[in-house]
Amino acid sequence: MAELRTQSGMWDELIEEDGSPRPAAERLVDQLKELGMSELQQRQDLAELDIVGMGITFTVYSDGRGLDRSWPFDIIPRIIAADEWRRIERGLMQRLRALNAFIDDLYHDQRIVADGVFPAGLLEHSVNYRPQCRGVSPKHGVWAHICGSDLVRDADGTMYVLEDNLRVPSGVSYALENRAISKRAFADLFSQQSILPVDAYTDELKRMLTSIAPDGIDDPSVAVLTPGIYNSAYFEHSFLAQRMGAALVEGADLVVGDDDCVYMRTIAGRERVHVIYRRVDDLFLDPDEFRPDSALGVPGLMRAWRAGNVGIANAPGAGVADDKVVYAWVPEFIRYYLGEEALLPNVPTYRCVYDDERQYVLDHMEELVVKPANESGGYGLLVGNRATRAEIDEARANIEADPRNWVAQPILSLSTAPTLCDGRIEPRHVDLRPFILSGASQYVSAGGLTRVALRRGSLVVNSSQGGGSKDTWIVEG
Amino acid sequence: MLLSRTADNIYWGARYMERADDTARVVRSFTEVLLDLPTGVASSWEPLLAVIGSRELFDEGHVRANESDIVRFLVADTANPGSVVSSVAHARENLRTTREVLPRDAWQTVNDLFLYTGRDAESGVDRRSRARFLSRVVSEHQRLDGVISGAMQRDEAYEIWRLGQALERADMTTRVLGVRAAALLAAPDTVDDYDEVQWMGVLRSLTALQMYQRATRGPIVGSGVVAFLLFDRQFPRSVAGCLERIKSSLSRLPNPDITAPAVEAIEQSLVSVRADAGDGAALDAAMDEVQLALAVLNDAVFDAFMRAGE
Repeated sequence: MAELRTQSGMWDELIEEDGSPRPAAERLVDQLKELGMSELQQRQDLAELDIVGMGITFTVYSDGRGLDRSWPFDIIPRIIAADEWRRIERGLMQRLRALNAFIDDLYHDQRIVADGVFPAGLLEHSVNYRPQCRGVSPKHGVWAHICGSDLVRDADGTMYVLEDNLRVPSGVSYALENRAISKRAFADLFSQQSILPVDAYTDELKRMLTSIAPDGIDDPSVAVLTPGIYNSAYFEHSFLAQRMGAALVEGADLVVGDDDCVYMRTIAGRERVHVIYRRVDDLFLDPDEFRPDSALGVPGLMRAWRAGNVGIANAPGAGVADDKVVYAWVPEFIRYYLGEEALLPNVPTYRCVYDDERQYVLDHMEELVVKPANESGGYGLLVGNRATRAEIDEARANIEADPRNWVAQPILSLSTAPTLCDGRIEPRHVDLRPFILSGASQYVSAGGLTRVALRRGSLVVNSSQGGGSKDTWIVEG
Repeated sequence: MLLSRTADNIYWGARYMERADDTARVVRSFTEVLLDLPTGVASSWEPLLAVIGSRELFDEGHVRANESDIVRFLVADTANPGSVVSSVAHARENLRTTREVLPRDAWQTVNDLFLYTGRDAESGVDRRSRARFLSRVVSEHQRLDGVISGAMQRDEAYEIWRLGQALERADMTTRVLGVRAAALLAAPDTVDDYDEVQWMGVLRSLTALQMYQRATRGPIVGSGVVAFLLFDRQFPRSVAGCLERIKSSLSRLPNPDITAPAVEAIEQSLVSVRADAGDGAALDAAMDEVQLALAVLNDAVFDAFMRAGE
């Protein structure tokens, strides 16, 4: 087998710059060399058969019809040393404590605004702020119960938080299924070294959900609320419901009674629901209070939630902290609410609302990614080193016209990991989405979902756009 | 705990799978019988339309009623909601959202069959490949049945599945009796020597020939066949056998008082046929009555389970 290559100027997750394996990856690299390409390819093919056989799919849309596609998976795992992982884990928990404190503050006294730490006017711009949630106090002061934070590593090896997905983050079921497949492919490695198991996630999820049930309920009934079969993450909704032994419900299966309690419509009549893990966006949750045309939601659900008769995860309104501008303030939140310094850095973010930061952005456009604060999906994004003169001038004018709406970040070189591509092992860019649970206590998934851009040089890791995934091994040294 | 929506999907998934299977059996046996009869004996494919109960829809789209038109309509026509391919597609649509309730392999079996029928439906029309196609439909449904009886918790979802299956099966048995058996009883002289072949065809279309022979040990005669298909509780496709199954499932499900009157009505209508089993027109009318009673039960099932939480 050819030597495992790295890409110059990039950090590789498994291989040092001199071509030798990183300590946590030694056994894996030995095994890869022992196996040789044809055996490795064979195991990859078997893994793909397993995926079809296990029915692990995601849904892509074309011609208005949803089609189930098999989950793209690369057999070579991404490895993180356990001691590094423990630091990341602590950093993520700290981050979520601060984010939850911020959300809770926003919907109550807004001390952080009064104290001049967070600018007052910014909220008016947030499409995810829900005035309906003002004054509500969810249990444990937690709003973002399930967070999927995207982590990326830069060329110098620093792991950054790129964004926090606080609305309805998905991907955890694939991380769990990836492990099931990789255990078959590398059975011997699992017996030779200590790789943290991932299966506990669904138990921890159930425990967390149980902890947000209304007071006085011993054995709460938990339901997963899905938009239905045509949602791209339906596989995951069904998977999580199965693993937790929870009911998988759609909006029409639920009804809020005159007693402001939520019930499922069952063949034996109405049955009380105490906790809802909703995978439906805020605006579709309750047609009485949000979009009146929503057929996905449950009329009266917000009323039941405010009355404390049902726990909802994530809490309505939690998405307010899932925003590029709010993101830039997270290190300040950690300082303000926890009196600590951030353990896990943000990607340095320049907020054009501040004069000095704006000036820096205007002077360094070619080295920065400029992002509008309230757009999602990469719309309006400018990558300085790939933009034309005219595009840069236009962006500059936009920033000066409405500085509040713009942030900028340095252009990162995402780290790579060895990946099987057309019969060869090539370095490909990866990111990592761990899942952080917050309820009565906190929990971080052991690793998370590693996504990989299968096309050479591509940074796009989304499965709908040619991205794949890898199992993530946390290996004890 | 079983959600009403899930119950509805399982119930209809079971009915549609059973319907696809039953239709495949009827078309398969009809083809065999007609091949056995010499030319000259009145042989028509039109009774098939009457059995499946879709004559009017067929007439809207067809001028003639020849073999390949009728078989295509019943097997491969996606515009006919009762065709084999449509039934399998409806079953799949219903069962897609019950994957967390039914055993994992159950969904896969349905999905496999859906892919097969979608791809190879035309081979179910061609006489040379018809039996192979139809037998595949029947055997895939049997596989599904095996997965469910071998791997599923005996819970409410299981009973709903069995209920839908038995109701659909009872319906098909009454159709075969009401159309084909009644026609044979009404005009035995027109088929004279081939009487036995025709009655064997009736039994075959419900996969009852071998069991009839085992159970009765006598010759194949009309009254015996009718009695067997109506009343033999030990035969799983007889109306009485299906009714036993229905009662047993309902007794394990909530709200039995809502469905009880409809079950009672089916039993009553069965009792009234007993006396008339030798008379074709009376048999046809009696089967209509049983079918109506089954439709009332279908509505009662909806009220009892799907509307329980309203």
